[in-house]
Amino acid sequence: MLTNKRLVMALSTAALVVSAPASAQTVLNVASGGSQNMVEYITDYLGPMFEKQNPGVKVRVTGTGPGDAGSQKILEKLEAQSAAGKEVWDLDVVVAAQKKTGEMVEKGLLANYRSEISTGKLVTRDTAKTALGVNVDGYVMPMFHSQTAIAYNPDVVSDPPTSYDELRAWTEKHPKAFGYNGIKNGMSGLAFVVGWMYAYSGDAATIQNGPYDPAKKAGWSKPLADLKDFNKNISFTPGNAGTLDMLNRGEIVMGPVWVDMFYSWQADGRVSPNLKLKLLSPGMPGQPYYYGTPTKAENKELAKKFIELATSPKVQAEGIVNKFNWYPGIDANHVEAALDKAVWKKLFTDVTPADLAAKGKPFPIAPYFDDIKEGYEKQVSN
Amino acid sequence: MSNETISVGPGRTTALLLVAPSLLMIGFLFLYPFAYSVLSAFVDNGTGDWHVANFIKAVDFYSNDILFTIIIVLLSTVLIGFFAIAIAGYLTLGENRFAVSLLRWLYRWPLFIPFIVSAQLMRTFLAKNGMMNNMLVGSGLMEPLSAVSFLDWRGIVITFVWKQTPFVTLLVAGAMASLDRTTIEAGRNLGASRLRVLIELVVPQVATTLMVGLILSYVVMLSVLSVPLMINAQSPTMLTVDMAWRINSYGDYGIANALGIMSYLFTGIVAWFYLRQSLKEKGAMK
Repeated sequence: MLTNKRLVMALSTAALVVSAPASAQTVLNVASGGSQNMVEYITDYLGPMFEKQNPGVKVRVTGTGPGDAGSQKILEKLEAQSAAGKEVWDLDVVVAAQKKTGEMVEKGLLANYRSEISTGKLVTRDTAKTALGVNVDGYVMPMFHSQTAIAYNPDVVSDPPTSYDELRAWTEKHPKAFGYNGIKNGMSGLAFVVGWMYAYSGDAATIQNGPYDPAKKAGWSKPLADLKDFNKNISFTPGNAGTLDMLNRGEIVMGPVWVDMFYSWQADGRVSPNLKLKLLSPGMPGQPYYYGTPTKAENKELAKKFIELATSPKVQAEGIVNKFNWYPGIDANHVEAALDKAVWKKLFTDVTPADLAAKGKPFPIAPYFDDIKEGYEKQVSN
Repeated sequence: MSNETISVGPGRTTALLLVAPSLLMIGFLFLYPFAYSVLSAFVDNGTGDWHVANFIKAVDFYSNDILFTIIIVLLSTVLIGFFAIAIAGYLTLGENRFAVSLLRWLYRWPLFIPFIVSAQLMRTFLAKNGMMNNMLVGSGLMEPLSAVSFLDWRGIVITFVWKQTPFVTLLVAGAMASLDRTTIEAGRNLGASRLRVLIELVVPQVATTLMVGLILSYVVMLSVLSVPLMINAQSPTMLTVDMAWRINSYGDYGIANALGIMSYLFTGIVAWFYLRQSLKEKGAMK
């Protein structure tokens, strides 16, 4: 009996497998320029959900690797198809990092679609309008934001500084208790320095949005000299992970970290559960990953539907926030209702949605970014 | 030269063929990239003109790091020499059989541990609230408040010395073991202390081996990226970190190569000693 049942099940499974290609007429091709977890996000979570809602559709995802290099591969593929004069391109949805997405928009490789999907108006952050100085308004939907913030130990610091000014005063009173990883040992330290320049260079908006003026860096000697003084009262940590390690061992009580990394480590029990986060004003940088759809995508309507699902409050809550500890790509206020209270509390108690909207800044446009790094090297560390 | 004198052995073509694989390897894997990096350091990317702007900027940005690198590596080399002589000396002259065999067994371990693993080890060992300080505090030898982190230049030196001492010791102990023991016994018979025998009789006889070991360590330490990257987060830092940074962060190979050429110079100086020494040795063998 049992064996019979098994046989029937095996046969029907086989029949399903055989018939699957016949019924799944449409394949939605997704290219993700992120690390393995971002590919798994689609294969294990989003893809099956979309296939269930759209019978006959198969989601096929390709990971091209993390960082600008991964997104560059997507750009090159689209560019090649565009140059070859093809009428239909074989990518329907692309997931890419900021800098390369900007380049894709500039080269006309991505379609302007945001106004055509219902979740388009749920986006509030600047990063949906500009990507490191390039106008991408309408062409992208943020998949998630990762954000830097100051992590601190509330047992030792009951009243944490809320701005760069207060932090400076605080470090003078508590030398060596604040730690960051310089600029060469990971992005969290670099993000802290960028935030410093936003606070003290006098023109954060131009640094974030351009236009670029090579002469501007000449006026940065004061903030950089102040940063050099500031560095005398702090500890240096060995890397993004190093800051969290030192916080956990109690060697420092405050330092800049990536929020998603902080929560993931907390979930793994690698940092103490009572550490908290604070987003300094006027702001600290973070970065999004974008969803886009190529200008001549084969299944454009389906792609829009896919992105609509991916940026719906429910998916943003469950997948992006709950499963991966990222901040949502859409306005966090729309996500709250769909989110388990405990998860909401965890991610948004320390840094509120209003904080994120006001103090979550983009990274500088590329040439200013290089100028900041070189200015730091020359005037702060040498 | 007449042909008769070289009639033994393979002919000229065969000889060239035999040398070819290693020559090609040196050519492709060393000479070609070397020439390429020299060019990239001296040639302007845009105009193709020769210039030294990369070197001026490198010194402007990284003068502290250049000095720091030289000091760290020299200091480590001196300490490695000291510990290698001490350990090898005890292995040769020690009288407590148990202590000698224990030391012989123990000292080689770091030899098998890669730099990056050593760095990670030291990162948890030398931290302010790391294993070393916890042990000292736990045993009552130190007050918790006086604990300091060694994760700075001291951490780099400690890691280098810990990792490279066994290598030099191995060479030096081998050389010491093959010494004619009569010189040592003569010294001891005439009433010289073991320390004096070590310094005045043994070390001078193994000086060449010691120097070769130290030179090789010096060159290796100059090229390590993981240790300064993982242990010393502050500036100044070592040149390898700056080179990696120039490439990863700015895609700037020009200055990275200028810094690389400076490293070549630092190793070039000691390599010259090494070559002179090995030539001398080969000459002596004839």
